[in-house]
Order: sequence, then structure tokens, then C-alpha cells
Amino acid sequence: MSTVEATTTALVTESAPDNKTRRYDRQLRLWAASGQSALENARILVVSGGATATSILKNLVLPGVGHFTILDPLPVTPEDAGNNFFLDGLNSVGKSRAEEGVRLLLEMNDGVDGKADTRSLEEVLDTPGGKEWLGEFTLVIAVNLEKGPLERLAAVLWEEESFPPLVVVRPAGFLAEFYIQYHEHTVIESHPETAQSLQIDRPFPALLDYAMSLDFENMDVTDHGHVPYVVILVRVLEEWKKTHDGLPPQNAAEKVQFKKNILAMRKKPDEENFEEAEAQAYRAWTKTVVPSETRALFDDAKVISPSSVEAPFYKLVRALKKFVEGSGALPLTSTLPDMKASTSAYIDLQKLYKTRAEEEKEVFRGCLSEACGGDIKAIGEDMIDAFVKNSHALKLLRGKRWAALDEDHEALVLATQTSSKQLAVHLALSALSNFLAKSKTSGQTLSAEALTAEAQKLLPDGTELPEEFEDCVGEVVRSPTAELPNTAALLGGLVAQEAIKMITRQYVPINGYCIVDLVETWTGIL
Amino acid sequence: MSSESSTLVHDWPGRYHHIDQVLNTPGPRTDPGFLAGDGVKDFLRNKAKILVIGAGGLGCEILANLALTGFKDIHVIDMDTIDISNLNRQFLFRQKDVGKPKATVAAQFIMNRVPGVKVTPYFGKIQDKDDDYYLQFDLVICGLDSVEARRWMNATLVNLVDPEKPDSLKPMIDGGTEGFKGQARVILPTITSCYECSLDMLNKPTAFPICTIANTPRLPEHCIEWASVLEWPRVHGDKKMDTDDPDHIGWLYKVAAARAAEFKIEGVTWSLTQGVVKNIIPAIASTNAIIAGTDGVYSYTFEHEKRDDCPVCGGEAVDMTINSDTTVEQLIEILIEKQDIQIKKPSLSTSTKQIYLQAPPQLEQATRPNLEKKVSELVPPGGEITVTASTLPFSLSLRISYEA
Ligand SMILES: [Zn+2]
Repeated sequence: MSTVEATTTALVTESAPDNKTRRYDRQLRLWAASGQSALENARILVVSGGATATSILKNLVLPGVGHFTILDPLPVTPEDAGNNFFLDGLNSVGKSRAEEGVRLLLEMNDGVDGKADTRSLEEVLDTPGGKEWLGEFTLVIAVNLEKGPLERLAAVLWEEESFPPLVVVRPAGFLAEFYIQYHEHTVIESHPETAQSLQIDRPFPALLDYAMSLDFENMDVTDHGHVPYVVILVRVLEEWKKTHDGLPPQNAAEKVQFKKNILAMRKKPDEENFEEAEAQAYRAWTKTVVPSETRALFDDAKVISPSSVEAPFYKLVRALKKFVEGSGALPLTSTLPDMKASTSAYIDLQKLYKTRAEEEKEVFRGCLSEACGGDIKAIGEDMIDAFVKNSHALKLLRGKRWAALDEDHEALVLATQTSSKQLAVHLALSALSNFLAKSKTSGQTLSAEALTAEAQKLLPDGTELPEEFEDCVGEVVRSPTAELPNTAALLGGLVAQEAIKMITRQYVPINGYCIVDLVETWTGIL
Repeated sequence: MSSESSTLVHDWPGRYHHIDQVLNTPGPRTDPGFLAGDGVKDFLRNKAKILVIGAGGLGCEILANLALTGFKDIHVIDMDTIDISNLNRQFLFRQKDVGKPKATVAAQFIMNRVPGVKVTPYFGKIQDKDDDYYLQFDLVICGLDSVEARRWMNATLVNLVDPEKPDSLKPMIDGGTEGFKGQARVILPTITSCYECSLDMLNKPTAFPICTIANTPRLPEHCIEWASVLEWPRVHGDKKMDTDDPDHIGWLYKVAAARAAEFKIEGVTWSLTQGVVKNIIPAIASTNAIIAGTDGVYSYTFEHEKRDDCPVCGGEAVDMTINSDTTVEQLIEILIEKQDIQIKKPSLSTSTKQIYLQAPPQLEQATRPNLEKKVSELVPPGGEITVTASTLPFSLSLRISYEA
């Protein structure tokens, strides 16, 4: 046995991952165990069991959603059997669409629980306790529902903030839209692309002391070439401030000079750490600020006036506000990016940041304790950790009731100017839905003229339909009831992905309509 | 229509109710060349022959969608077998299929689920097949995870084009995903830009400098690279590392963790070890069908420029200016580094002599002394060097000029 192996056997405890971890390996890298656990505790209701609905469910069953119910009273038709991958061809015709769908979806993952409910939505809504039954789901997804039942469902789910969000999906041929109805959605782990600030412009005392204590002049040549750029910048900035009234570089000329000062410290022309410091010099004069989105949170009505039933998010934001009032910045990051440095110089610097970050977290916990009236146990360490790490990227989304846009004349008129392409698709799909609801009694046949008249009614008087509307309505008229396999697959992916964002409270979901046009291959937000 | 009678057995009334809505009538934006009606339906259901390359995450989606759309003659190539980590998205496979060839299991599943569709699997490499094989298809769809395989397929389809025979032009649709992101593009060989034209748009894989790994590790990743790149060959000699073997991963993990402890570096885990040595890209079911961003939903369509000096479809030599002191070895390093070329082991020659050949061993040995020579001693200004590599089915012409 080599020396390496001999030393390691005693030290390592983590053993090979179990089957479940291996199965979910690729997704755990996206949303970690916390996201997976949220997914496994989620209960999804899907209203209707058509091709789009099963396509969405496929992408929720595979990653391991806890439970799903398909609510659908209809039997499988030969038309269904032709376009739905989760039906068994002609063998399924005549059987319950909900039962067949559940059976074939469950084949993919035995860790998932699924149930077929052959009642109609109206029956559920008319039954005493139906509302409560709906309220027990984490998320409700409605696909291709008729106007009347859809409006009832949306209204019921909007009644209480604690009721599940509703995803409304409407496909027609190559066009489609989906909308998420929620009162509000808060995200701590938004997975931002930008890292937290290293706060080089306002170094914490231990970092400043360390940077000032180094004797660059008499340092060993190898060590000199391995001082991390963070330390170099802190040092150069401090020296600079001494001769510039305590200010960092103010203009282009000063910034050039600042960079020259960095390079002038080199002992050899090829010291990469100084080149890196020059490239990162902007960090020295970029002021560490609280992002405007986070500042806006501090002034949010719910943050200002505490409530006894509020989500932990608001307590955490209130604590953060208090923290910022005290320290002038968000809590320091404990994560250092890689940089040219020797192992020991890097690890020392990392330790300085970690120690300081730990201290600031303690201060934050103090603020939180105050915000919670002394008891922070209910919030939990994991959430506090995640909140501090993501304090630069917190998200609070306020949503609107389903169809609120259609009643907002001002917003509609604005959309004809700013998002005419997206609005055109939305109007065509809404017109179709309105027309189908009426034609049941009127017997009128579908035509471009009839849909155009319906769409015109959706806009305030004197507002013209978007230029793109004609093309969209032509598309809808030729395929009003088509759930194309490719559109269903695409929607299945998009809707499932947004559902996972809602359920895990990770990443940022859409706020509004997502519009899909597969003729021109684009998606857009309205 | 007599040609339909054989397959119509499975085409029950109403089967294509949904898809027929867009096949029976043209829409306002359909191409004027699209002739709606029986002709297109007959072509789609009875004549078209489609090749799908890759039966992984994208491949499973593509196969199911093609089958439901009505294509009846589909071929699929994949050289991999099913791993348990595929099951979170590759929905044609089950636990009992682990270890079996993806192409075969996927083909069987589609044929069971969608009556009347014939899916012909090939468990092997795309390189095993010749031009005649590829000529039989109307369309090639790629759902591959390797740049190398895409380059090979792209170059093969471009080379297949014979201007005298319009049928030799095989459209290629290429897709790829990474986490919540994905992309798809259509390539009409020799007409639109090809895969090679846009090679410089690929992200460079993260590579850690060997001196960091050997001398100044700072991140857990550096320790893992040390274990796999330096310690594995030192301890195990010629024994090949198998990144799918849990025992091998376990060994790397322990060695990396020990090195990390020695340097007081935190964060070496089993999962990270596996991620680094296998260069794992996160993957989920939903992305395989879509193009979506992590912040809301976002998509973007654009057109690539065809490059005149593209080694596959351009026909013109690439101009390259080097120092007159540059040695052959340095030129090879430049080529390996160059983002728009990306050749791992290039061999160089001119029309009259061999400069340096990577294989076979005798020729490598014979041309090795040239590595130290200056390129300017071997190639006159304006002279051309042909660059080849065993992994690529094409050569690249460099027109060399020298800095003063
Ligand atoms: Zn090209």
C-alpha cells in the first residue's frame, strides 16, 4: 500500500453513493438535496389527461415529484391514442384517459405516487369540500380547459394566498401560451450568474491588517509572485488613499495611474498575480452597494409591517435591512474565487474571509433574533445560511390573477406598442377560447373573421389589433384543437421546468404569460 | 393510393386527427414550397427515412416525437449502454434495462408503444458506417454529447454532397443541452454554415494548468485533477482509468481527499470527484425538449455566417501568420490552442514532404527531428501546410506567412 493510500483510509468517511443518488445525480447538480426534497414532498394536480398534460407530467415524474393526480372524466378516443405517448395505441381506446395516463407515467419511476380521478372539474368545484381538496395540492396545472370551468378554477384558487399556484396552459397547433397565477413567490436560492462582492473597496480590518503587514520589498521572489490579487489590490488602494484625500481613483487618468502602481510593484516582468491584479483593478474603485432590487425589498409594505402569519422570508429581509443599517453593506461572502496564489497564501486569505463571514453571520443572527422576537429556531440554520449566501440576489415576485391582463385596458394598449408579437398570439388564443365557449350554443362556425371580431372585443375601443394578429389567427383557424406532438413536448419541458422552479423555490420562474410560436421558433414573455 | 396499403393496417381512423390539421391546409406563414395534403402525408408516413444519432436524453425525445408525428421508418445509432444516472430523463429506459444498449432498447420501446413504426437500431459508432449508409436517409437528426462526433458527422454529410445529385444533400438538425439551457440548429450541408464554421463559438472546457495541480493546489478540483492526472498513472501504470467504475472513483476520491487534507483545502466530495473526472454536465428531462433559460424563459434565434475558410465547407485555405523563428513544435501548440480549429493531435505535411506525423510510430520517429526545426526552414512564405488528425474526416489547409 502506498503512503497516500495508507494515510487516507483513516480519514475519509463518505462512501459510494446509493442507487437513488446515482439515479438523480445529474439533477442534484442543479438543485441539490434541498430542491430534491421539496420536489419529493410536492403534490401536483393536472386537470385533463391529454397529450400536453402527460408530456408535462413525464418531466415531473422522471425527476421524482412526490405525488400527482390526473383529473379527467373522459374516455380515450382514437384521436387521443394517435398523439399521446402515454396511451397504449388502440388498446387504450375506450378506457379512462386519467387511468391509462397514470398507469403508463408511473412505469417510469417507482418512487412516485400517482392517482387517477375520473370526476370532472365542475363536479369537484360543486362538491362541498372541493375547494379544500384543491387546496391540498402544491401546484395545479390546467391544460386546454374550457373558458367557464377555467375561470371558476382560477377564481377559487385566487381566494386564499395559501392556495396553490395555478399554471394555465393553452396550445393550438404551432402556437401556445402558459401563465402562472400566484399572489407572490419569494426566492432565496435564485442561482445568480454574478458572485457576491469581495468588498475590496472596504476591506474588513483583518484583511487590511494582513495586506499592510506584508513586506513586498524584501519578500522572497517566489512568495512575491504568489500573493493573491485581492491582497495586492487592498494594499495598493490603501497606499493610494493616503495621497488622495482618502478616496479611490476618481477618473480615467487616475485609474490608469492606479494600474501602473500595481505593475510597478512587480519584481519580475512575468508575475501573473500582478497581471491578474491589474485586470481586476476595477474592484478597487467599484463601490460595494446593496443592489437596488434588494433595497426595494427593504421598503416593501410587508417588510415594514410585520404580521403574525408571515413567511420566514420577510423576517429574514427585515433582519437584513437592520444588518445593512448597521454595517453599510450586505454580509460578506465566504466564497473566494480561484486566483493566482500559492496554496498557503490562498488558504490564509480564504480563512480570513471565512472567519469574517462567520462573524458577520453572527451579527445577522442577532438582527434576525430581534426580528423574530428572540426565537429563530423556526427558521432553521440551512435557510439562514442560504439567505446570507444569496443576499445579493433575493427575489420577490408579485403575480396577478389569471386573465387580469385582459381586463387591464392600459396594459393592453401598452402591449400593442411594446410586445405586439406576443400580444398577437395571446389575443388569438383568447379569442379562440371565447369563441368556443359561445359556439356551443350559437352553433357559429369557426373562421378568421369570427376570431378577429372576438379579439377586437378584447381590446379597448379604438385600439387596433397588432399587425401580427392576422398571421396568428390564420394559424389558429387551421389547427384550433390540434395538440401537436412537438408542441406538446416543448410545452411539457417548459411548463415542467417552471413548475420545478416554483416547487423548489430555486431559480426564477416567469411572471406573466410565456408565449410560444413554433412557426418562427421563438418564446417570449408578455 | 396503393403505396399506403401496407402500413395503413395500423393507421386507424382519427389517428392523425391532430397532426393532419397542419398537414391538410397551409398556414399564413408556411413556406410556399409546402404542398399541403395527401402528397406530404404520404411522404411523411410511407416514404421518409430518418436517421437519429444518439439515443440519450435528446434522442429519446426525438424518437418519440418522430414516431407520434407519423414517421414510420426511423433508424437510430448509439454506442452507449444504459447507466442508472440516465433514468432521470431518458424515458424509454427502465431500471431493468441498465447495462443494455441504448439504441436497441429505445427502438424496441418505440415500436411497442407506437404501432406500425419501424425503428432500426445500430449499437455502435457513427464512424462504422460508410457513405452509402448515410445516403439512404432524407434527414439526419443529432442528439449527441460529443463535439468530436458532431464534427465527424458534419464533415461526412458535407463531403457527401454531389452537385450533380440533389438527393445527396442531407439536411442535418443538431441539438444539445446543458442544465437548464439548450440549443438546436439546422444545417444544409454546403448551403448554410456548417458545424465547423462556428466551432469558435464553443466554450472552452475548463482546464487547470498542470503546475497549479502539481504545486499550488487551491481548490478541491485541483486535488481531484492531481489524483486522476498524476497519481493514477503513477500508481497504476498502464491500467486504464474507468470513470464509470465506482471502485476507480472511490480510489480517486480518497487520494484527492488526502491531498486536500494535507493542504487544508475543503470541499472534496464523492459527487465532485465524479463530476470533475467525468466532466459531468447537469441534465434534466425538461430541457431535452426545449430551449429555456434559468431566469424566466428565454429563447434566441440567429443565423450563423458561412466561413469561406471553413476547413469542411469553405474550400479556401486559412491564412496564418507566424514568426519566422516559430518551430514546428510551437506551431502544433498554437493549433491545439486555437479555438476555431481545436485539433488534439495534428499531423502536418506539405504537398511535397511530411513535416510531422503523429502515427504510425515509425513515421512519428522519422519526422520527430523536425519538431525542433523552424517552420520557415521547411515552408516558403505563402506555402501551404495540410493539417490532419485521425479523429477528423477532413484536412485543413494553412497558408503560412511570416512576420518580418
Ligand atoms: Zn463550414
